[in-house]
Amino acid sequence: MRTFIIVFTIIVSTTLQAQSPYEKGMNKAFELWGSQKPDEAINLFERIGRAEKDNWLPFYYAAQVHIITTFNIKDANEIESRLKKAQGFLNESRTFSKENAEILIMEAMLNTAYVVYNPSVNGPLLSAKVEELYRKAKVLEPENPRATLYHAEWKMGGAKFWGKDPKDFCPEVEKAILYFEKAKSNDIPFYPSWGKDQVARIQQNCK
Amino acid sequence: MKFTLTLVFILFLFSVKAQTTISGNVSDSSGNPIPGANIYLEGTYDGASSDENGNFTFTSSETGQQILTISFLSFETFTLVEDVSKMINLKIKLKEDVNSLDSVILNAGTFAAGDNSKAAVLTPLDIVTTAGAAGDFIGALQTLPGTSNNEEDGRLFVRGGDANETNIYIDGLRVFQPFAATTNNIPTRGRFSSFLFQGTNFSTGGYSSEYGDALSSVLLLNTIDEPDQEKTELQFINVGLGGGNTQKWGKNSLSINGFYLNLAPYQEIISQRIEWIKPYESLSGEAVYRHKFNNGLLKVYGGLSYASFDLIQDDINTPNGFNFGLKNRNLYMNSTYNGTLGNDWKIATGLSFANDYNDIGFEDTDVKDVENSFHLKLKLRKRFSNRFKLSFGMEQFLNSFSEDATSPDFGEFNSKFENNSTAVFTEANIFFSKKLAMQLGVRGVHNTLLNNTKVSPRASLAYKTSSKSQISLAYGDFYQAPQQNILKFDTDLEPEKSSHYIFNYLYQNNGRQLRAEGYYKTYKSLVKFDTEIPEFDSNFTNLGDGYAAGVDIFWRDNKSIKNLEYWASYSYLNTERDYRNYPNRATPNFATEHSLSLVTKYWISDWKSLLSTTYNFGSGRPYNDPNESVFQNKKTKTFNSVNFSWAYLISQQKILYFSVSNVLGFDNVFNYQYSNTPEMNGNFARQPVRPNADRFFILGFFWTISDDKNDNQLDNL
Repeated sequence: MRTFIIVFTIIVSTTLQAQSPYEKGMNKAFELWGSQKPDEAINLFERIGRAEKDNWLPFYYAAQVHIITTFNIKDANEIESRLKKAQGFLNESRTFSKENAEILIMEAMLNTAYVVYNPSVNGPLLSAKVEELYRKAKVLEPENPRATLYHAEWKMGGAKFWGKDPKDFCPEVEKAILYFEKAKSNDIPFYPSWGKDQVARIQQNCK
Repeated sequence: MKFTLTLVFILFLFSVKAQTTISGNVSDSSGNPIPGANIYLEGTYDGASSDENGNFTFTSSETGQQILTISFLSFETFTLVEDVSKMINLKIKLKEDVNSLDSVILNAGTFAAGDNSKAAVLTPLDIVTTAGAAGDFIGALQTLPGTSNNEEDGRLFVRGGDANETNIYIDGLRVFQPFAATTNNIPTRGRFSSFLFQGTNFSTGGYSSEYGDALSSVLLLNTIDEPDQEKTELQFINVGLGGGNTQKWGKNSLSINGFYLNLAPYQEIISQRIEWIKPYESLSGEAVYRHKFNNGLLKVYGGLSYASFDLIQDDINTPNGFNFGLKNRNLYMNSTYNGTLGNDWKIATGLSFANDYNDIGFEDTDVKDVENSFHLKLKLRKRFSNRFKLSFGMEQFLNSFSEDATSPDFGEFNSKFENNSTAVFTEANIFFSKKLAMQLGVRGVHNTLLNNTKVSPRASLAYKTSSKSQISLAYGDFYQAPQQNILKFDTDLEPEKSSHYIFNYLYQNNGRQLRAEGYYKTYKSLVKFDTEIPEFDSNFTNLGDGYAAGVDIFWRDNKSIKNLEYWASYSYLNTERDYRNYPNRATPNFATEHSLSLVTKYWISDWKSLLSTTYNFGSGRPYNDPNESVFQNKKTKTFNSVNFSWAYLISQQKILYFSVSNVLGFDNVFNYQYSNTPEMNGNFARQPVRPNADRFFILGFFWTISDDKNDNQLDNL
């Protein structure tokens, strides 16, 4: 009996201590991204996505790393191939989660990256699409802080271009702050919760 | 002791689940290491990224046969099925992905515009903001090299070919009457509103075997797959009014638009050289419905238009001029389905139908004609791999034409014919590597009216000479049935034939593009007749021939000057042909030896204005002077025109637009008309053929109403 209890304890504690391979993998991928190894992070997210088979999150993050990476690249070919790849990941992500506000927001960011990279060509081509993506995301989740914040930033950019006051959208940023505070931590591990640290940067427009 | 043993045994189980090491090296086909490749066992968490030297190593507890996958941006994904224990010291060579952005492009002869094509020379905005184009998508194409500017006609004259040698397709289906009905010396416009299209491919030669019945060129227009959002658009212009609306619901969307054009008020103010009895008036409407299926997209397009005008045309042989009046009604329907069939098969099929009715008054002669045309098409495409794709298809054209002419001189005259043809085509697309690609095609056509069958081969080859440049070659044979104005009198003829030989050089570097193309083109079996114009008693033969040779240069630069985009085109054309009633080979009036266009677009953000200018130059056009012994050996003076447009964005959704053509008022002459009979001194008198007015002004207000309040019509102007 005693033996049994000890063995049982050992087994239980091992499983408790050890994270699931999924959690371990995801944590490792975020760590790689954090330590300036975006491509290794993307590779790991992709591997997890393929192993998990029905989880939209790894592909979502693989796309996000690609998109964020393009903001620091000059080479047109690399930007385009990364964004193309990111779109592929988002499409895979969507097959596991159809009506998902977070994926729509990420797709809006992807299209924003196209506009940033070549405004004169992609601006007129994609502006309406970006709007529509944020609009759809807000229909699905009216209080999504990322949709509110980044939509406000996008509109501020538009206002600056048209010589209008970007401050008009500051109340939206305030709302986003409120939504960030209200946002309950999601039961699903690694559910998107990023963006709060960008509030200060975007609020620069409100001074 | 027993306990210890048990514990040791259990711990052993946990720590040592037999681990196998998987290792190897990833390189490209020439042995250069690929860092950052993703290597993993499919369906597991086990994997790694390759290091700077392309090496990778990781462990796995999997056993037996597994799938190892190696993937990397712009390379084809590699898979290896093997026992895990043998996956050690692997040497993996990845093949380049020929679909990646830096691959060679098969582009000889082609200008892509508007879509996301790598070889795109114009953006959608360019097509409509080019000064002088006045919202007509054909106008912007006339600033591309290979076209001869024939301002008095408005259609596309490509590489020594006349306007009938270019065919227009919407979503792969033939448009039978793409241009508004008009008469001599009154320029026409495209019938279709530019805002329905998202991509344009303009081929000035050597095009795919999917298209036929055009000796010189095809223009391929693609309608929008999915509109971005619901919106209403209103247009108020000094010559007309228009509106459009787009709705989306579920997997459906519907766009409709209408336009009413009336030149009468405008012509009251701006004097015209022509005496208009009833100025040009037209009413047109279009609708596009789209439905998304799980594996495909259905589009149904319909357009209906009415147009009429009546005028007195100057004519040196008729002192009071002659009267020409026209009423036209045109219906065009086009429905297509594009989808996937699984197993890398794709299907594209569709049907287009046109009904065109003209009521023409020509002095005392009254002509009524009706033309019904159908085009049915089915195309299948199989992707065997990224490197080899095969497509084949079949199409049927049905065309019936009937005409009733009544005149006090000859009573009533009827003519009618049915011009049907069946075509099959196939094309293989082969990428040998990222640097070398080839397209081979063949097209066979049987025409029941002319009762003959013609086979035409097409080929093109492209080779990438450096990361920024490539060369390509294209060859093709092209057949085209004689035009309606000949077939109505004689159907015992052969199709006309041309052959194209094209050499293309392309240089692209970060917002700058240079494209230079040299070509040689031969014409055979051109239709000749022995009267001034085709008539019922003319003798028609296929004895005409000709050639065209030239160089087209295109340069575009979006980067060198901030906020300024510009492009420049130059074409050199040397062509002669013996056709129609020519006594010998000569250069026709529509062919200019040197053509130059310079288009600039400057964005002034403080004024929220887009200023565009277009300068067009054409060397003198040949004309025939009957006072000379040699046919067609005189040239008009050079053609010059500076066009200007200004789009001012009042707010994000309201645009004020102003444009004027030929700002500097150059007095252009296109041709000369000579008297049929000499004067007393034996000389033939002449009068110049000039534009109907030197300048054309457009003033418009464009208003878009949408939920998000930031879309506008700048891309439709």
